Amino acid sequence: MFKLSPIYKLPVIFLLVSITILGSLFWTNPTHASEPKQQTEEYCLSCHSKPDLKMTLANGDIVPLYIDPQKLATSVHSPNGIECEACHTNITTYPHPPVTYQTRRELARTYYSACQKCHPDNYTKTMDSMHARAAEAGNLNAPICTDCHGTHFIQPPDEPRTLIPATCGNCHSQEYSVYQSSIHGNVLKQELNPDVPVCTSCHGVHNIQNPLTPEFRVSEPDLCASCHANQEMMSKYGLSADVYSLYSLSWHGVDVSIYQARWPNVQHTSAVCTDCHGIHNILAPNDPNSMVNPKNLLVTCQKCHPGVSPNWTGAWTGHYKVSLERTPFLFYVDSFYSIFTPLILWVVGIYIALQFIRFMVDRVRRSL
Amino acid sequence: MKNKQKSTPTPSHPRLKLVRTFPRFNAIQRWEHAALLLCIAIQLATGLPQKYNTSVWSQAIISSPNRLTAIQQIHHITALVLTALVLFHLGRAFYLIARRRLSDDMLPSYQDIKDAWNMLLYLLYIKREKPAFGKYNFEQKVTYWFLFFSIGIMLVSGYIMWFPEVITRLIPGGVIPAAIMAHSTEAIVTFIFIVLFHFYHVHIERLNLSIFSGWLNEEDMRKYHSREYSQLVSASHTDQDSGDTKA
Repeated sequence: MFKLSPIYKLPVIFLLVSITILGSLFWTNPTHASEPKQQTEEYCLSCHSKPDLKMTLANGDIVPLYIDPQKLATSVHSPNGIECEACHTNITTYPHPPVTYQTRRELARTYYSACQKCHPDNYTKTMDSMHARAAEAGNLNAPICTDCHGTHFIQPPDEPRTLIPATCGNCHSQEYSVYQSSIHGNVLKQELNPDVPVCTSCHGVHNIQNPLTPEFRVSEPDLCASCHANQEMMSKYGLSADVYSLYSLSWHGVDVSIYQARWPNVQHTSAVCTDCHGIHNILAPNDPNSMVNPKNLLVTCQKCHPGVSPNWTGAWTGHYKVSLERTPFLFYVDSFYSIFTPLILWVVGIYIALQFIRFMVDRVRRSL
Repeated sequence: MKNKQKSTPTPSHPRLKLVRTFPRFNAIQRWEHAALLLCIAIQLATGLPQKYNTSVWSQAIISSPNRLTAIQQIHHITALVLTALVLFHLGRAFYLIARRRLSDDMLPSYQDIKDAWNMLLYLLYIKREKPAFGKYNFEQKVTYWFLFFSIGIMLVSGYIMWFPEVITRLIPGGVIPAAIMAHSTEAIVTFIFIVLFHFYHVHIERLNLSIFSGWLNEEDMRKYHSREYSQLVSASHTDQDSGDTKA
């Protein structure tokens, strides 16, 4: 060991102090997601508020880099202090790291995973969706968070409520236009009624499932029942809330309930609500174009029961309770058995009981 | 049909007990009953699990969609057998009517109402004696005719459910849900009726196996069919007397 003169000690002290300061920086390095405290927005906008700012990617895709500061101020994130760096985690300063994305889609599919940091539940749900499965199968256009919610100018997704079907309609345009002309879509458009189902009411939100599976099919009456068996909600519109319970008693309903309860994975063809009423094109039964309008009912029945005669539609009790006017045959049979069954049970029961008493009493007497 | 006593030879051995037997059912009737019993049992065994599909025992039987199809097929085949049986029974009845040979033993009569009333008085301890019954008492007639109409309802409603598309070419569609309800309810009423009424009379009141053996012994005849018994006995006496030269 040799002794350093005081003048040589200074750089060593300086080095130690700077290492300690640097080290303490690593120690307290904040996670940006949990504590979005950046003041980066102003800094970023100093360049990105220029309307003609854009870049060209390797495949020729042009990415506009302009951010409208006024629109940004109305998004759900910016006013809450969640600024650029929360999502653009790889960009901390200028000059930016080199852009390696080949396409605009690749850029989007990389950036959207930032949503997971703050929205892990919904993000995980999307992993179990039809859309995620389409992406796994190789369709990179399958939607990611930003396709439905937007990117920089994210707004509440259901304000106004008509925004939901419009968002889905960006890709599912045919279903959207059919839905708009349906009773549900039409009422939504006119009244913005919160009771009216939109796409997500039936299909779910983030974990949207394939609606063509046997499981979806047999649980479908329950789905409709979530509104149509709600007495309070149905009474507002003068609709019967018994449609589901009466369906459950029908031939179709009994069949479907067995498959739903016991063999949901087995494809079954007994009619569910949508087979007769339509899916996105549901109309009020009194609408002349409704599949269940008396005028069209036979054709609807013939989808599953080919070649049946016009009498056939009379077999359907139409979600109505047994009544003399509507279902006279059923009414008479029902009335007959409501008298006959208890009558037989009581008469036979009492007669046999009397006989048995007399029989036993005689037997006991004889043995005495 | 004619009832004849079996000839009873003089006992050769003093300890030998002689039982006089009276023919009650012929071979055709016994086979009809056996076939009917089997058909009803199969129809109940395959029908009730379909009706009570939410119960545990039903789910043990109908354990898979294939099992359900199999059970429905058994139900349909048995229905065809039952139909054949009913047609045979009716055909034979018409044949016997045409030949003026159908016995009126099973037809309801005013006497049955009187018997039923007297039986009720007996059961209520108002009368001391049971009414004297003929070959078929009113209980047995009730059993026969109840099942006669019940099986009629079951067959008609069953075929409506089996071939609804064809049926509605001829009659209004409203009969189909009515047939479903009738089939389902009538089955239960019939089942309970058989268990309560029929089983009590042939198993508990006394073990009456004449529908399988074809005959009744003298004691049962005297006790349960005393009117028939006395008729037979007096008839046989007149038979014996005729041509006999008495000392």
